[in-house]
Amino acid sequence: MLPDFVSVNPETKEEALAFLDSIGDARVIAGGTDLLVNMKRGESCRNVVDIMNVEGLNRLSVNDGEIVIGSTVTHAAISTITILNDMARSLSAACGLIGSPQIRNMGTVGGNLVNASPAADSISPLLIHDAILSIESKDETREETLENFIIAPYETSLKPCELLTSVCIKALPGYREGYRRTAKRAAWAISRLSVAWAILEDEGRFVDVKLAIGSCTPMPFRPRSVEEFLRGRTKVDPTIGEAVVMVTEEIRKITGDRPSFAYKLPVVSDLVQKALRG
Amino acid sequence: MYIGNEINRIDAPDKVLGRPVYAEDLSIKGALFGCVFRSTRPHAWIRKIDTSAALASPGIVKTLSCYDIPGENIFGIIKKDQPYLAKDRVRYIGEPVLVVLGETEEAARKASRLIRVEYDDIGVISDPFISGDSKTLIHEKGNLLSHRKVIKGDIEKAFREADVIVEHTYTTTWLDHAFMETESGVGYPDNKGSIVIISSTQNIHYKQKEISKLLAIPEEKIKVIQATTGGGFGGKLDVTVEGFIALSVYHTKRPVVMRFTREESFLSNTKRHPLYIEYKTGARKDGAITAVKVNITGDTGPFASYGETVCLRAAIHATGPYEIPNVRVDSRMFYTNNPVSGAMRGFGVPQLAFAHESQMDEIASMLRLDSFDVRIKNALRKGSSTATSQVLRNSVGIIETLKKVEPYWRRRTRKNDHTGFGLGCMYYGIGNTGVSNPANACLNITGDGKIALHTGACEIGQGSDTVLVQILQEALGLKIEDIVLIRGDTETSKDAGSSSASRQTYISGGAVFDAAKKMRQYLDEKGFYKGRTIREIYASEADKKLLEHNGFFDPPTTPVDPETSKGSPYATYAFATHMTEVEVERETGSCRVKKVYAAHDVGRAINLKNVRGQICGGIAMGVGFALMEEFVPGKSESFDNYYMPTSMDMPDVEVFIVEDCEPTGPFGAKGLGEPALIPQAASIVNAIKDATGVRAFDLPCHIERLKKLIEDKK
Repeated sequence: MLPDFVSVNPETKEEALAFLDSIGDARVIAGGTDLLVNMKRGESCRNVVDIMNVEGLNRLSVNDGEIVIGSTVTHAAISTITILNDMARSLSAACGLIGSPQIRNMGTVGGNLVNASPAADSISPLLIHDAILSIESKDETREETLENFIIAPYETSLKPCELLTSVCIKALPGYREGYRRTAKRAAWAISRLSVAWAILEDEGRFVDVKLAIGSCTPMPFRPRSVEEFLRGRTKVDPTIGEAVVMVTEEIRKITGDRPSFAYKLPVVSDLVQKALRG
Repeated sequence: MYIGNEINRIDAPDKVLGRPVYAEDLSIKGALFGCVFRSTRPHAWIRKIDTSAALASPGIVKTLSCYDIPGENIFGIIKKDQPYLAKDRVRYIGEPVLVVLGETEEAARKASRLIRVEYDDIGVISDPFISGDSKTLIHEKGNLLSHRKVIKGDIEKAFREADVIVEHTYTTTWLDHAFMETESGVGYPDNKGSIVIISSTQNIHYKQKEISKLLAIPEEKIKVIQATTGGGFGGKLDVTVEGFIALSVYHTKRPVVMRFTREESFLSNTKRHPLYIEYKTGARKDGAITAVKVNITGDTGPFASYGETVCLRAAIHATGPYEIPNVRVDSRMFYTNNPVSGAMRGFGVPQLAFAHESQMDEIASMLRLDSFDVRIKNALRKGSSTATSQVLRNSVGIIETLKKVEPYWRRRTRKNDHTGFGLGCMYYGIGNTGVSNPANACLNITGDGKIALHTGACEIGQGSDTVLVQILQEALGLKIEDIVLIRGDTETSKDAGSSSASRQTYISGGAVFDAAKKMRQYLDEKGFYKGRTIREIYASEADKKLLEHNGFFDPPTTPVDPETSKGSPYATYAFATHMTEVEVERETGSCRVKKVYAAHDVGRAINLKNVRGQICGGIAMGVGFALMEEFVPGKSESFDNYYMPTSMDMPDVEVFIVEDCEPTGPFGAKGLGEPALIPQAASIVNAIKDATGVRAFDLPCHIERLKKLIEDKK
């Protein structure tokens, strides 16, 4: 059973920020597909600010190759809007794999980021698009990269009075882009491992490679040294093989060896290899 | 013709419109809510129970312990060894200790969290292989619940003379039924001094008997009614909420509602038995299987539930639908402090089908023969003798089911190197094993000119209501408007046995058919078939007792020999062949089932839509059994971490119906409920082998296991 709690439903951003500022211990609901589950499990939460009706937060705008996604844009919207399909294929693919249709209709990109699960599907694609988050409070507006925003599993730099209002990403024209994940069943499953990639090639060379790996380390991450290694190199199997080994080494460097790696490292190797080969 | 048609289920319009009131939806004004306080220890003495804080909590009415039970604090379908409420000792995590009654659900659950128990832990037995020799006894008479044998021919000689021998070990794990509706019900005292229980159940008369013993009240004073039930699969055969509700009504004289949460259901409901199967097969060069030796070790948890049934049924079915001259099966079921395992669709046979069908493929591959040909060569036919030396005279359709899929098997082509095809065959004895398991049915003519059918057969979603009505219609030549079905009430119906063992179409159907024959003769004598209406017949009958006709059917079986299992434990068997196509993603180890060709010998299909529905449902469950479902004690709490297939995991299914009529069945019908599931996991595992070259010996073959098998082979 859900515990008793008080909920407010602001309609403007200013109203929402004022509530967050004055209540102090309020939790934000942006879909509720994580928060309500946790509350049902006993997580204490007395005050809830529901931002689903806040005007403007569910807007998506495209300007000069820059895409601004409001924090209450749902996974369903991201996975079906044509323009995102074209400009951020990995993100729309990832959001189309989240949960079930019901969860995709409720869950939002903002909620996914603030929950900061190591297995959140939207994070890896947003990382390869160098996402920058807009964070607002009653007195201040700040920007932060997604990489810095998540500081630990289920932990972000967001202060109790702050609200994540939008995510800004750049399109990657000319890049071959994608997202693959593995899960225990065909749908409605938490991702067991995921890889997002955007690769720019020219005449058999890697010009720029962006990789992100999810559900493997405490936070989804970009193996920067591997990206750097591949820059400018010829696309041949030995190079790809070396890159794949570097990815697994980088994962081990972050977490040490884990029992789950018996499964995850072979999978990540195969998926990265496949992504690089194209 | 009313049978063999595309008739809609009679409950379909109501269910589509959301009208039926399921047990979970039931509420009674002024009812108390009851919840169960459960053990958090796998094995411990109870030293002290402190309910003082709970009893001081707002809205609390009462707590009930084993000392509040007026009758016998014990239940069980065969061996009665399970207490309703733990006395002195708990034997598994989740064992009921107290019933907590509150004015509301919230009050009851809150109070229940305030109960404190002091335990003294006892050594925990978590492995059936340790259980047998352990000095810690879960029950006084020892930790071996049951040891059954099947012995036929000379197994040692046969292995000596065999050209090839294949020997492997197969394991399966706990599965939850995961029915849509959790265990729920209500109870109240009626104005005649009886206690009425309405619940989500598969067997009303059994529960009536158990409650009568629990409360030391005669059976006539206990009325059990089946509410519309959201699935059973064997998990609602044991007493779940019913005993607690009855006890609560007894003490409070007030209506009481109970409803397990999903978490509670996962924790407390019986599971599919994990079996450890050592399987040795001997064959000649031409593919004839000459010897099968099987050792089965099972974990039944701390209470018998259906452990003995599974132990015996698994042994009897261990050879699969093949004629094997030399057989030795040893099947043992041990008590442990793991979750209680009980009845679940197939009673151990799906586990054994996984083993014997894997063996068939391995034998074929070793002999470089087509596994289809090896199956057909060894398949049972009319005149064959089963592992229990029962000679099959009628309705042996296994070869026909193989022939239905043969064209697809011969034409199969692997689209690429990650697709593959596999076969799975099965046979399954319909009804309970080697014991009398009759059903009654009662027909009477009502004042408003209808024929009322009273049956105790529980409709749990499998379609028995529709099938029984169709049988009645066919036998009497009546339109649906002329029939009233009154089902699932111990006061108005006689015992039909439980909705389990794929038995209701065959056995309750047989009872309805028997009653209908008598009714038909009566109606004929009274001129119904010459134009008189039922209403007129009713009005003209002076002795209203003559308007009633009872039907009875008990399948002809013999008990099996306790040492060799020789005998005819079932009057009839169902047969099936599934051919499955899978696609395996080598990078991730995920397997998708693409297509299933499912051929079933059902004797006679009473309702084609129901037959197809049962088969599709069985396949879905088989996909879960093969690829993902795994109850891990202490970890699997809810659907969050117990993965079962969704519609996206469901393959295309093509159904082929074989009708090799069973002479003792109503219009030739047998059963289908469990057979639909049994061969599916086996066919998936064989298809994975075809696709990847690796064989899974442990189920579920989930992504991590499959990836490891693929990596190990590299």
